[in-house]
Parts: sequence; structure tokens; C-alpha cells
Amino acid sequence: MRRFVFVLVCFVAMLVPVAVLASGGEGGFNGVVRSLEVKYHAHATRIPFMGLISFISRKATEGGVSNVHVAEFEDFQEAMDGEELNRMVEQKLGPEWERVIRETSRYGGDQTLIFMHAEGSRMGLFVLDASGRELDVVQVSVDPAHLNDKVNEYQHHSHHHDDGD
Amino acid sequence: MEMQKRLLYLGAIVLCGTAMAAAQDSPLPLPPAVEKELAAKASNVTEVTLGKNMLGFAAKFMNGKDEDEAATRKLIEGLQGIYVREYEFDKEGEYSMEQIEQLRKYFETSEWSPIVRERERKNHETTDVLVKLVNGESQGMFVLEAEPKDLTIVLILGPVKVEDLSRLKGLGGLSSLGDVQKDIKPVKKGGGE
Repeated sequence: MRRFVFVLVCFVAMLVPVAVLASGGEGGFNGVVRSLEVKYHAHATRIPFMGLISFISRKATEGGVSNVHVAEFEDFQEAMDGEELNRMVEQKLGPEWERVIRETSRYGGDQTLIFMHAEGSRMGLFVLDASGRELDVVQVSVDPAHLNDKVNEYQHHSHHHDDGD
Repeated sequence: MEMQKRLLYLGAIVLCGTAMAAAQDSPLPLPPAVEKELAAKASNVTEVTLGKNMLGFAAKFMNGKDEDEAATRKLIEGLQGIYVREYEFDKEGEYSMEQIEQLRKYFETSEWSPIVRERERKNHETTDVLVKLVNGESQGMFVLEAEPKDLTIVLILGPVKVEDLSRLKGLGGLSSLGDVQKDIKPVKKGGGE
């Protein structure tokens, strides 16, 4: 009995460092991109002045779209295991992100993962799309209600414009 | 001895928690083994998982000013979840009829009533549509479409009717729902089977 308890306690004790290691390292968008770089020996092209672009998009949409992150892998040649990729992204993004769409091909060529995350009245969107030799990773934060108003505004203007022609 | 018991209980709780977390891997209430087997054999897999929270957010993208959009928004806001699994196979016979039967049996409870049961022997295609009835109201829909090289599973939880399916096809990844509605209509007229 004592041996059984000892084995059980050892097993539980072993789970703790494994869980800590698994959640370690950089998380979020950068964590995913870094993990892709390391795992597939590829280099991501980060769009220059992304901070500025993000700031401009926030201003232009009056807060509708913000926190834009983009990373692009060109000439991505490594075959991907869909299950492994999904696990890695889930782990790096954390449990607050929910996967809503996943498309995966057994041969590894095409992979799409879309995650969403509630951020108060805003929504975080994370998209990973691999097709052929290109892999793109995008993360944005959107305000659905605000975006809707802006879209309606443009539609309204466009209708007026059409009527004027 | 008391300490040993406590440790034993603690260990058991941790193990149960780990097992439950593993069991909750997929939010789609299907036999997990079947889902994994199908995914392992399919050449392409599409999974759409929209829980109540995410449906709430999706609804916010519909402004509700247009009558149609307002109806769709109301529908989505009332739903508990939408789950879609599409499996494409390279060749015929990659999934077995036993697996299909397992899926059907899973929903053959008193709560779920079949409204469509279509069997096309010539093309080896089958369609099953079951509705969850609670106090005479439809509170869920399960659609299973099996073709020789394609398998589509749709589960919608919450108040939904067949005629609502076309409203949902506009949501990302749910375009197949429009086709499902088209399939259902002529069958119903024909008297079911």
C-alpha cells in the first residue's frame, strides 16, 4: 500500500515540472512565430513598421481594428503535422483562445487555424494559414460593433454616391 | 495511515482531473474514438467549433438594420453551439458503415427524433437528420451526410429549424448548411425515406 502511495505521489510530482515546462517560454503571437521558426528551421519576415501600421489602422477605423501583428514565411518547405501544429499553437496562445476553424490536410500542405478570444467588447482574432510554400500568421483585435458602424457608414456614403451619378 | 489516505485521495483527484481534461479535448459530443479514427484516415479535415461565446461575438458582426440580418442575429444569439466536421477521403471505403452506425446510435435517444432518413443505394449516399425536441420545441439538430469519399457531421444546439439552416451558411465555414437544407426539402415532400 505504502509503495502504491509512493508511486502515485511521484507520478503527480512528475506532472508538475512537465506542465511548467510545457507552458514556459514566450507565448502569444510572438511565441507561435518563434516556435514555427525553431521547429521548421524557417525565418519569418516581419512587416516593417508594424507598430506604426497598427497605430494608423486603429486611428483610421476609430478603434475598429487594432493590435495588428503579421508574420510571413516564404518558401516554407517543411511538411507539417496538423495535430502537432494545432497543439503548439494552442499551447502558445493559451486556454483563453478558442479554436473556431481548423482545416488540415494529411499531407501537410494546407493548414488553416483560426482562433478567437473575447477581450471585453473587443475580439482577438488569430489566423495561421499555410498554403503551398507560404505560411502567414496574423493577429488583430477588432471591435465588432464599431466596425459594423463604419461599414454601414461607407455603405451609406456609397449609396448616396450612386444615387448622385 | 490517515496521511496515506489523504495522499491517495489527492492523487486520485489529480488523475481524474487529467482524464477529464483529456476527455474534453473535443467540444463536439461525439464518440471521441470515432472522431479520431475518421480524422486519422481523412486526407482533408475541416472543423468548425462555435460555442455560445463565439456565437455571441459573431452576432455582433451583424448590425441588425437589415430585416434578414436581424433575423440571423436573433437566431445566432439563441444558439448554444454549432459544430461541423467535414472529412474528405482519398478513396472509397476509408471509413466503415460501423463507424457511421456508431455515430447514429449516439443520437438515437428519446430526446432526438429522426426527421430525414435517406438511403441512395446507387450512389452509396446516406443522409440522416435528427431533431432534439424539448416540450415540442426544436432545441437542436444533428445532420450526418455520408458519401463514399466525404463525410459531413453537423450539430447545432439550441432553438433551430430546418428553414434556419440557410441563414447560418453565411457564417465562416458553414457554407455546407445551405446544401443540407436543399437536400432535406425534397425528401420531406417525398414522405421521409
